[in-house]
Amino acid sequence: MAMGRDRWRAVAAGVLALAAAVAWSRADFFGHELLAQIAILAIFAMSLDLLVGYAGLVSLGHAAFYGIGAYATALFTALWGGSAWLAMPFSVVVAAAAALLVGAFAVRLAGVFFIMITLAIGQMTYAYFFKSAAFGGDDGLAGIARIDLGWIGLNANEPAHFALFALVVAGLVYLALDRVTRAPFGRMLVAIHDNESRLRALGCPVYRYKVAVFTLAGAVAGLAGSLAAQHAMFISPELLTWTTSGEALIVVIVGGMGSLIGPAAGAAIVILLADYLSGETEYWMFFMGAFFVAVVLLAGDGLYGALRQLGRWRGAAGRRAQ
Amino acid sequence: MPLDPAFIGIQLLNGLQLASLLFLLSVGLSVVFGLMNFINLAHGTLYMLGAFIGLSLARWTGSYWIALALAPLAVAAVGALFHVVLLRRLQAATPMKQVLVTFGLIFIGLDSVRYIWGNRTHGMAPPELFAGAVDILGQTYPAYRLLVIGLGLVVLVVLIFGLERTRLGAVVRAGVDDRETAMALGVDVERAFFIVFCLGCGLAGLAGVVAAPVLSVYPGMGMSVLILALIVVVVGGPGSIGGAALGALLIGMAETFGQVLVPEFASVVIYAVMALVLLLRPGGLVPVGRH
Repeated sequence: MAMGRDRWRAVAAGVLALAAAVAWSRADFFGHELLAQIAILAIFAMSLDLLVGYAGLVSLGHAAFYGIGAYATALFTALWGGSAWLAMPFSVVVAAAAALLVGAFAVRLAGVFFIMITLAIGQMTYAYFFKSAAFGGDDGLAGIARIDLGWIGLNANEPAHFALFALVVAGLVYLALDRVTRAPFGRMLVAIHDNESRLRALGCPVYRYKVAVFTLAGAVAGLAGSLAAQHAMFISPELLTWTTSGEALIVVIVGGMGSLIGPAAGAAIVILLADYLSGETEYWMFFMGAFFVAVVLLAGDGLYGALRQLGRWRGAAGRRAQ
Repeated sequence: MPLDPAFIGIQLLNGLQLASLLFLLSVGLSVVFGLMNFINLAHGTLYMLGAFIGLSLARWTGSYWIALALAPLAVAAVGALFHVVLLRRLQAATPMKQVLVTFGLIFIGLDSVRYIWGNRTHGMAPPELFAGAVDILGQTYPAYRLLVIGLGLVVLVVLIFGLERTRLGAVVRAGVDDRETAMALGVDVERAFFIVFCLGCGLAGLAGVVAAPVLSVYPGMGMSVLILALIVVVVGGPGSIGGAALGALLIGMAETFGQVLVPEFASVVIYAVMALVLLLRPGGLVPVGRH
């Protein structure tokens, strides 16, 4: 039921936006840092959801494009001395180009093969930046500048203002991707995911759709990476490890894949959970992994799916009562 | 860059050593994947477990050989436990769910190892018999590395013999070739899968113990090797022992020479090799069966 599902998502998006606004107005310095992290992870996770939840392409190496976007921003601002406002579209374009190059080959492979290849790509990109003297190797690169918000009277070097900027970008990305998923392109992706051979028989250029969504997802991941580089004002190869890709996948699954808003909320949940856990124990990855396994086994549709299921039960109970 | 025969010879040996390790690690992955279309992403975690368990065993008993014999058994037991507790429950689930669960296990395994053994990097001494160096082509070469190469060859021969001459091997060949028909004919593919899975886990553990004296032992050591092993499976052709051997040889050589000749782009070399093989032979070097 398309109408019902869209309404649910709009409601959820509204609630999330409200929560973000309230959190932002009441947060302290540390809270603003967390909010910026959440916004960036939300963008990254939404791009991955496009691949995993809509197109059905499970990528374990998505951090490669996140990292490429971050390093492109570092290159543009720290090494070339350019402005961050120009660095952002530059990063998006570079990440998109890389995604196109990788995707053109990778999407030819199906299922588990695709997962393995993306894992390999992720590690290889990490290895490249780790060894690269030009990009600072495993020491990383510092001196990245943030965008200039002076023209609207804000100072991006203030945690509160940068957090606001990041949240606004996240909101815009959600709106844009929401349009994409509702458009024929998005619906075609879901159809391909559902039954690829049927679509092929109908003459649909499945390969082109897959490459297109892979490139788009890479581009958005690059945007997230650019923001991450600006946030930390420092970049290191650690951003591209399989754990980064893995955490994003956890966010998507836990939030509820195929909903866009689920992963956005999932980003908040995972970051807050990780923050809490790492304060309590040094072995928070254990609990995160256990939590993830439990979610996959018991609640495959994640948080968003569980909420919608609740809604359906209450709706059915209501109808039965009549 | 000296391209004299001695240098090339040494690098060839290094490549063979890496190929041997990769073979031990990927043959289990490959056959399990060919048999049940299941990839255990936690395979690298088993490798890491093998190294750490082997490390502790060697410390307690003072004997490398005991560690070499027992660590793989311990890891195989862990694999059996995982299979009984989790994998059976996932049999009905989509392949994607199975893969995601094993991915979650990587996180669990990593912190478990850190909890038990700490975060430090450890070294392990090779056995006294192989602790020295051997003279090859005018250069000295660690004797232990020759042992690694030898072990890989022995395992390869044993596995091929097992595949061709034993009943289990016949069941595996049938299952990899055409699972549905084999099951319809009453062949117990499930039991064969369990045994092969545990064997594969044990071999991963063996790879870990064998690698410990050569590479350093640290939490997270499994990931980079896992990637290479996955590439070996894809390049060699899933389900085939010979494919795993050929793939391991190709990737082992490519990685070794790549790291030595073009260190910054070594990973690109591997990717290029993989892409080339898949473009020319999409089923891998030794394609097996049809599902």
